[in-house]
This record gives sequence, structure tokens and C-alpha cells, in this order.
Amino acid sequence: MTFTVLKSIKVLNPKTYFNDISDVVICNDKIFSICKDFKTEVSNQDRQINIYDCNGLTMSPGLIDMRVNIGKTENLTAIQKIAAENGITSMVILPNQTPKLNNPSIIDHIKRQSETPNVTKVNIYGAATKDDHGLEMSEIGLMSEMGAIGFTNGNKSIKNSLVMRRLMSYAAMINRPIIQHAEDEDLSGLNKASTTLINGEMNEGEISTRLGLIGIPSCAEVIIVERDIRLAKLTGASYHVAHVSTRDSINVIREAKKIGLKVTCDTAPPYFALNETSLLSYNTAFKLSPPLRKEDDRLAVIEGIQDGTIDAIASDHRARSKDTKAQPFSAASVGASGIETLFLMTLELVHKKIIDLNKAISLLTINPANVLKMEKPSLEKDGLADFIIFDENYHDVINQNNLKTSPTPFDHRKIKGKILGTFINGQVAHINQILKDKIIK
Amino acid sequence: MNELKKNKNESFFSSPIKLSSNHLLAIEGMEKSEIQKLIERADYFANLDRHTNTKVLQGYVVLNVFFENSTRTRVSFELAARRLGAEVINISLINSSIKKGESLLDTASTLNAMRPDLLIVRHPHSGAPLLFADYLNCSIINAGDGRHEHPTQALLDALTIKRRVGYLEGLKISICGDIANSRVARSNIHLLTTMGAEVRCVAPSTLMPSNLENLGVKCFSNMKMGIKDADVVMLLRLQNERMTGTENPSEREYFKFFGLDEAKLALANPNAVIMHPGPMNRGVEIASALADDTNRSLIKTQVEMGVAVRMSIIEALNHTKNNMMKN
Repeated sequence: MTFTVLKSIKVLNPKTYFNDISDVVICNDKIFSICKDFKTEVSNQDRQINIYDCNGLTMSPGLIDMRVNIGKTENLTAIQKIAAENGITSMVILPNQTPKLNNPSIIDHIKRQSETPNVTKVNIYGAATKDDHGLEMSEIGLMSEMGAIGFTNGNKSIKNSLVMRRLMSYAAMINRPIIQHAEDEDLSGLNKASTTLINGEMNEGEISTRLGLIGIPSCAEVIIVERDIRLAKLTGASYHVAHVSTRDSINVIREAKKIGLKVTCDTAPPYFALNETSLLSYNTAFKLSPPLRKEDDRLAVIEGIQDGTIDAIASDHRARSKDTKAQPFSAASVGASGIETLFLMTLELVHKKIIDLNKAISLLTINPANVLKMEKPSLEKDGLADFIIFDENYHDVINQNNLKTSPTPFDHRKIKGKILGTFINGQVAHINQILKDKIIK
Repeated sequence: MNELKKNKNESFFSSPIKLSSNHLLAIEGMEKSEIQKLIERADYFANLDRHTNTKVLQGYVVLNVFFENSTRTRVSFELAARRLGAEVINISLINSSIKKGESLLDTASTLNAMRPDLLIVRHPHSGAPLLFADYLNCSIINAGDGRHEHPTQALLDALTIKRRVGYLEGLKISICGDIANSRVARSNIHLLTTMGAEVRCVAPSTLMPSNLENLGVKCFSNMKMGIKDADVVMLLRLQNERMTGTENPSEREYFKFFGLDEAKLALANPNAVIMHPGPMNRGVEIASALADDTNRSLIKTQVEMGVAVRMSIIEALNHTKNNMMKN
């Protein structure tokens, strides 16, 4: 048996609020012990022990990224590796890839395909409706049996109210959440996808007027959220709004939670770190869906994170090729990379004293697990050893040239923090040279 | 390249203008003095006898690249460049490489490899000329990009007003029509507010872009109020190709409320002039008779001034680039 010992590491366990410097011993796929001195727990007489001096470093459960798009040209295994390097031990992929993840056999296929050892684990959202017309419920019960953990139409809104009602009702029956991209596509001009001349391109307001780009009014989000909350009340469903971006929708979600509805939501780093003024140079790295909003909306997202209205932070990873981004703004693709900056940008909230580190880790671990009814990640004796080791004060600058996915909306941003190690099922999925050098011979 | 020699009688501004950039991409952000100098220089060109030799740009290569249909702007640029002695190649890419799936940047770098001095670009997407300027090393003139800007149109409009009225500062100028979809409106708003004119925008609320007042203009959805006492009434075409069909009930209703006719014009300054960047829809935004009223309509003068303004800009870009290389 081989033991891995993390000596004098700050352990953050959001499940038990444990936050202390300890020695952590890993054996096989489990946490063998969390104690003051590992020598009281293991002796090195008949066992091999690798001891890392983790003084000054922090350990938390591995991150759960609840929203990852796998693009047409992306390879799932490659993304799993990149995610692992960035502290994500479990991610949920969206169904709107080619082919669509809209039936049980393809869910099963992707599940099996993703079972590579020592990379990020993959969970799947099944497509809520059979096709983009959104009029027929897909076999969500059968997909659920194959392991789909929630249902959504990905980057398209579930538009038809009756279909949404039925979906919520059915999903409640099988105890799975419905995840919505909330956008009234008539208002945002996306229902006429045939021409790029009338599609909504960015948040509507002074900036869209100056740039001559077509605005998407921010109410396009809350209109769908409000309708859906009424349907959630009618059906008792667990309803989750993905990437909330406006003050109005956060307000109505806050009210829905107050009256006890099973309504949750997440946001993504662009929506708390950036606003629409980033678009002034027509930089297509900022062409996102939902679009970057006004400063007031950004502040509302931060308030929502602080007061718990926003349950989780997801990467909303939607990497795009340079070819589809090096285009006039209107013709450029929508989306930006996220898995490589999720942790760093969330940590920025801690450094800016907006939230504390425990809260940040909860937003990235136990909260998404709760929303998706997954097993709660925890660092405790005999618990599964899915965790990360990081240096929360490492000074760095995000640089597109050093990233494996593109485009990042955070190029040249100064940040503090670095993932030094990711362990999945007790095995090293990623280890940085800095951590390697800390092994005690 | 040679520069046009100063004659004895010419004004202070009759030498080429040096700009702060070797591109003309937008009016927004341009200095008042720069705008003023370009207009003065264009005024000088407009006054020249047509047979004056202005061919100072021998060997200068201009590519006129149009991704959108255009007659007047393309011809105007071509004529301006030819009067300066430049070689002009017109390229219409509406049905060509775009349909073959070539990316805009590939098209651009292909053109760039032929080493032109100047690329004049019209494109249906806002911001496209900025992309060209980022990737290519020749000068770029924005000849209209999506709903964003049409800087040469604003400059020629300013020259037209200046020649008729004498000044811009303090003038009441009403821009009426499809503001939301108009690049001409945006360039004119930036230029005229920079020059100190009082700019009003008149449009049905469905065609008024949001927060337009933040650009320093007054907004009206009542045309009679919007053109009251106006010195200049600029009309814009309804750009149906950029609409969803939800903006206006009908053309006849539009004409009733937003078309310029004698009755509405009577509310403007008695000497008010009428302008339109063309192409016009008679009976939609303007009564046909008014369009042809040579006392009030400057529509043909605008076209004429287009050539002079574009000469001053092309010359200025060449002059600016030469100066940049010297330094």
C-alpha cells in the first residue's frame, strides 16, 4: 500500500465547515486520515509513503463545473484533461453537441467514452426536447436511468410554455432538475437565425447604439425566468436558471426562494467580472450568450452571490476556434473558454473581499452538487479522495498564449491563485512542478 | 508622392491634411480641428476648376472593396481617387468569395498581399473595417459598416451645409427617419455635435435606438416638434433589409407621420434646407416635389460634394502615411 501524505495543509471542507491546518493521508481512492500529525496514524515500516510539505497551501474538494459545452471540433478526453489541470474533478456537459444528446443510448455511449482514468469525471445533461423545435419531450426517464443528471436545451431556451410545464412535471416525478437558458428568443431576435443582419448581438443600451450592433434587451432573460417560476410553482419541479446575468432575474429568483420554491441558479465569471463596456472595441472574445450586461447588472450578480440567491458558479465553457472569432462582430461565433479560468476568477472574489474562501469553494463544489442532487463532495475520513491543492496567493497573469482553449475574455488580467494538484479517486490527475518540488525525500 | 502645390490665392487650409491616424474608420473620437481641416480642404477641391490638374497620387493604388451594393458611394470614391491620379480597382464581393466560404480575414489578407496603398471598405457588419485595420498594413477608409458609421457621408454633409449656410455651430439640425438602422445618422450625430450644432433625432419609437440621448442629441417621436425651427432637415431611408417587419405598420402610415411634406416643413425655419444621403424613397420619407425643389433640396449638391470630400480624405491619408514613414 502507498500512502500520500499532505503535511500541514489548510483543509477546507464546505460540507462540515471544517477549516484547519492538518496532515492529510490518502490511501487508494480514499482519504485515510485527517489529523494533527500523520505519524500517529501511519508508520513507514512496511509501507511506501510520499510526503508533500504543504505548508502555506490549501486543499478543498475538487470543483464541480456544472456547465461545459463541448464544441464540434473539441475532443471530450482532451477537455477532461484540461479541466483536471484546472481543478475540476467533475463536470457536466450540455446536450447540444453533434449529435445531440437526446436519447438513452447516446447518453450511455458518452458515459462510457468518458470513463478515462485520472481525468475529470463527466456527467451529462440530456436534451429536454427531441429537437430544436422544442415541441416534443425526449425520453428523459430512460436517459435518467442511463445517468443523465438533469435536462436542458443547452444554449437554447425551452420556449413553449406547455412543453415546459410538462417537462417540469415529468422531471419532478423522476426527481431531476430542469436547467434553463433563459432568453426570450423572439425578443432577442434569435428566432430568425437565417440572417446575421437582425440577430441580437449584445446587451441593448447606449453601447449597442454607439457600436451599431443589435441590442438584446435585458428583460429577455427575466421574462422567461418569471414564466418558468410560475410553472415551477404549478408543478413542484426543481428548476435551475443557468448563467443569470441581470438584476431583474436575480430579484425574481430571490423572491421565489423566499416562498420556498425549488428554484436555483448559477452564474459564470464573465457576469460578475465584466460588463458591456468590454465590447467597445468589437472584441469578439466578449461575444457571449447571455451578453455582457450593464455595470448595475454586474453588481447585482455580485450581490446575488453574496446573499446566496446565486447558488453556484459554473465556467459556461464554450471554446471557439480563432477562425470563427476573427470575424466582424456580427458574424463571429458566440461563447468563450472558461474551464481554465473558473477557479482563478472565483478566487478573485475572495481577494476582492466580496466573499470568503469557504463560500467560494462552496459555490464551486457542494452547491452545484446540491442543485444537481449529486453526492456531496467532502474531505473527511474514508471519503472519496477527489480534491485539489492550491496556492491562493500565487501572483500570475492570465495570458491567452498559455491557455489551451480560446478565446478567454480575461486575457492580461492580473490574478492571484494557482492550482498545484488535482487528485481524482486518490490518483494524481495533475501535479504542478511547484508541488512536485515539495516532496520530502 | 508629390503633394499639390499651394497657389498664391489659396486659403490656409489648401495644403494636404495630416491626420492622427492613417485610417478613417469612424467620426466618433475625431478631433474637431481634424474635421474642420478636412472640410476646408474639401471645400478647396470643390472650388477647383474641373480641369485643374490634381493628379498628385500617381502610382497610388486604391482597392474599392464593396461587400454590399452601392452605386453613389463606390463611384464617388472611384472618381475622387482618379482625380488625384490614383489607380483604382473596384472589387464587388457580394457574390464572390464570401459565397465560396472564404473568411473575411482570408479575403483581406489576399487583397493585402497585392500591396494596395488604400482599401476602401463597405461591409454589412458593424466594425468590419476595424478588423481590416487591425490585420492589414495599408490605410483603410470605412465606406459604411453595418449600422455603425459612414464617416465620409457625414463629412460631405457637413461640407454641403457649410457651403450653403456658412457655418455649423449653433445650427438646428433634425435627422429624421430610420435612425436605428442608419450608419449615416450615427456619423452625422458625432460630427455635428462635435462641431457644436444642435442635433435632434426624429424617428418612430420603434426605430429610435436605445439611450440615443447619451450621444448628445434630443430625441423626438413627433416630427412636427422635432423639426420646429430647424435650419436643416436630413432625411433617412427606411432600411427594410435590416428590419424584422415589426417596426412600421405600413409605408403610407409612415409617410403620414414621418414623411417630409410641405405642411411639416412649414414648421421649420423658412430658409431650412433638405438633405438626404440617398437612395430616396419618394412618397415614403419625402414628398416627391420637395426632393426636386432646387431652392430647398441639397440632395444633388451632397452627391457633388462627395467627390471633393473623398479627395481630401484620400490625399490626407497618403500625406499622413508619408509623414509617419518619415518619422
